[in-house]
Amino acid sequence: MELGTYAENTWCKGCGNFGILTAVKRAVKILAERGIPKEYLVISAGIGCHAKIFDYLNMSGLYSIHGRSMATIQGMKVANPDLKVITFAGDGDAYGEGIAHVIFAAKRNADITVVVHNNGVYGLTTGQYTPTSEKGFKGRSTPRGSIEEPLNPLTLLLEAGATFLGRAYSGKIDNMAHTMVRAVEHEGFSFIDVLQPCVSYNNTYNLYNELTEELDETPRTLKEALEIARTKDRLYIGTIYETEKPVFHKELYGDWNPVVDSLSREERIKRINNLLKK
Amino acid sequence: MKKDVFTYLVAGKAGEGVKKAGSVAAHLFADMKRAVFEMDDYQSLIKGGHNFSVVSTAPAEISNHYMEADLVVAHDARSYTIHREHIKEHGLLIVNSDEVENTEVIGIPMTTEAKKYPPADLRLGVGSVAVLAAAIGFDERTLEQLIRKEYPKDVEKNVEYAKTIHALIPSEVKGTFTINLGDRKRPLLTGNEAAALGAVAAGLDIYIAYPMTPSSSILHFLAALDRDLGIVTIHPENEIAVANMAIGAAFAGAKTMVGSSGGGMALMEEAFSLAGMTETPVLFVLSSRSGPSTGVPTYTEQADLRFALNQGHGDFLRIVAAPGSIEETFYCTAELLKLVWRFQTPGVLLLDKHISESSMTVDVQPEKCAWVSPVLHTSGEYKRYSNTDEGVSPLLFPPSKELIKWNSYEHDELGITTDKADNIAQMHDKRRRKSDAAREYLKKLQTVNTYGDGDPVIFTYGSSTMGVLEALRASSIKARVVQPIYLEPFPVWELTQYQGTTVIAVEQNSTGQFAALLKEKAGIESRCIRKYDGRPFDPEDLAAVLEEVLSWS
Repeated sequence: MELGTYAENTWCKGCGNFGILTAVKRAVKILAERGIPKEYLVISAGIGCHAKIFDYLNMSGLYSIHGRSMATIQGMKVANPDLKVITFAGDGDAYGEGIAHVIFAAKRNADITVVVHNNGVYGLTTGQYTPTSEKGFKGRSTPRGSIEEPLNPLTLLLEAGATFLGRAYSGKIDNMAHTMVRAVEHEGFSFIDVLQPCVSYNNTYNLYNELTEELDETPRTLKEALEIARTKDRLYIGTIYETEKPVFHKELYGDWNPVVDSLSREERIKRINNLLKK
Repeated sequence: MKKDVFTYLVAGKAGEGVKKAGSVAAHLFADMKRAVFEMDDYQSLIKGGHNFSVVSTAPAEISNHYMEADLVVAHDARSYTIHREHIKEHGLLIVNSDEVENTEVIGIPMTTEAKKYPPADLRLGVGSVAVLAAAIGFDERTLEQLIRKEYPKDVEKNVEYAKTIHALIPSEVKGTFTINLGDRKRPLLTGNEAAALGAVAAGLDIYIAYPMTPSSSILHFLAALDRDLGIVTIHPENEIAVANMAIGAAFAGAKTMVGSSGGGMALMEEAFSLAGMTETPVLFVLSSRSGPSTGVPTYTEQADLRFALNQGHGDFLRIVAAPGSIEETFYCTAELLKLVWRFQTPGVLLLDKHISESSMTVDVQPEKCAWVSPVLHTSGEYKRYSNTDEGVSPLLFPPSKELIKWNSYEHDELGITTDKADNIAQMHDKRRRKSDAAREYLKKLQTVNTYGDGDPVIFTYGSSTMGVLEALRASSIKARVVQPIYLEPFPVWELTQYQGTTVIAVEQNSTGQFAALLKEKAGIESRCIRKYDGRPFDPEDLAAVLEEVLSWS
């Protein structure tokens, strides 16, 4: 299965995005073996270094705009629920510009997968603090250090109602690919926060190599998951929480498929005429 | 004033069933096979304040309400003070004597009687219908039938109250007015309902919106009927989500429409450009309120014309149309949905409170609506942005073995991001050819309505058309009315004969945006009649202004 394109890769040497790209390709192959063909996987991306993955993957989709790709893929899913939709987003996309879309997608349990390339810095705009940058982070817009506390995306998403929550590290590719497969297969809102070093503006390789640790098993309760999510001295990776809830599109219209079941012109005319007679 | 128009005006506080009484009257006249126009004037509040509903009816043709009424029913003192100015000569004013102390007008103790059938406030509207019924000669039995049909909730109390009010109407008032049957029964629709149904007829699959007056009733109407009509409605977290979901849905092949008023449209504008670049067909309904900003939410204005024409940053094809009647709204929405799919670009259906929320009897035939039929990829290697002669690249939807890439960045034919000079220019050329093709396509459509002939010439557009046409019916003015339906691309090819002439322009904003557009696009000078107090034109007032302006030449 050819998953690359002719687009020239312009990520910095050593960028964490390479690990994510490799994990995605691995996950797509595994998903195909497990019964989800590539043509049913549709992708989107926000704007930033992460989003270049859109050009590097031989997969159909829509290259969206900053912060909005979570809304874009919800539209795709609701239009044709046969599709499995995945968006890649940066921490600026998911936790800044588009945070409302993330929280509401979790709240309504939209059947989508969101993969956040969380590197704690705006790379493509040459190094500004993000919603997940540590307090004191010196970037080009905060030369004296960021004066804001960072968000904890994991606890935020658990509280918002995420039915699948994972964390991954771009340096541990197999673990990430496995979590991605589970996320896509999960029916409902799946969210993976990927810890990713930016070699140019926020090199966290040593920190993450030291602190990340694979979970042996998925926490069974929300309380346990929240504890894992709050732990700072160890950064646990893998599936942090998974539960079942009714999904948005089925609650909305049951077994209907707006694209596949779209009514004929004759049927529409009949129904409108009936309505006009009332 | 046309002799055969009858107008009923009911006024009171929000929460007294004023709007419902207007609606009952409108349906009553429509059932009598007459032409009807109903306008509801209400404030942005839930209870109290001042509301009124005005229903004008004529045997065969009417396109606007009249403020001068044959019958006014006032629930309270404020309604009496305001609307005693609106009684036609030989008209009838009936007040709620519990609220209005005036022995010179006919008073009915509407509240005292309503208190016997609590909740009293809600009952008043039923009383106003009973007054109308008595005034047009309905006996008690006919009134009871009407109340049973229109007020099924708590029906016995409503019937008893209505009968009580009917009995209290002085006998000399009963049957004051004779309402003759008209020529045929027509459905009564608001502009928003017409837009919704036109879109469904054309192929709409999904309607997405965040509530904002005066667009909200499209969402309400479709949400209530979505399963009957085989479509889906979604109300997400904000307008930004609305527009971006719509783009995602269109990518998957769903015919999608969104709607808002000015503020919400401003939030959707980022996605409007995304639709332009990705070549995504989405129809945006922009129903204007009196602005700018929050403005006057429940009142009307045509001040978003320039805003609609200039949606989105960057060069790309936008298609904008403003229907001039509720009937035209039905067909125009269908045609716009077809056009945005034919040319894979965002479009704007420009409405305003007056056309969105007023009701009118219409002749609509869904079988005459346009039907969405995009250019589709059939076989062979697929490139989303294939550089065709027409500029329109065939569509293909997932799931597919072919690679389908839509891109917000400038892109090559396959849809991969590019910053190469030749690619950039190539895609700009492709999109521009598409604009040219759309203009040629529009030349085959009805893009301008012309009513009457000769001089003088009055230009108008959108909801003001309804007032202008009724002003001519209400007066002895003979004029030609020219109404561009399409505003972008602007149908200059239909207007060459007016180039260099001076016409009268009628529009509902303070700066004359439409008059300026006529000059800029078509070289037409105009004397501009503007109204910008949030209230739609009254045909007789407008006729007086037109006569004055015409007397200058």
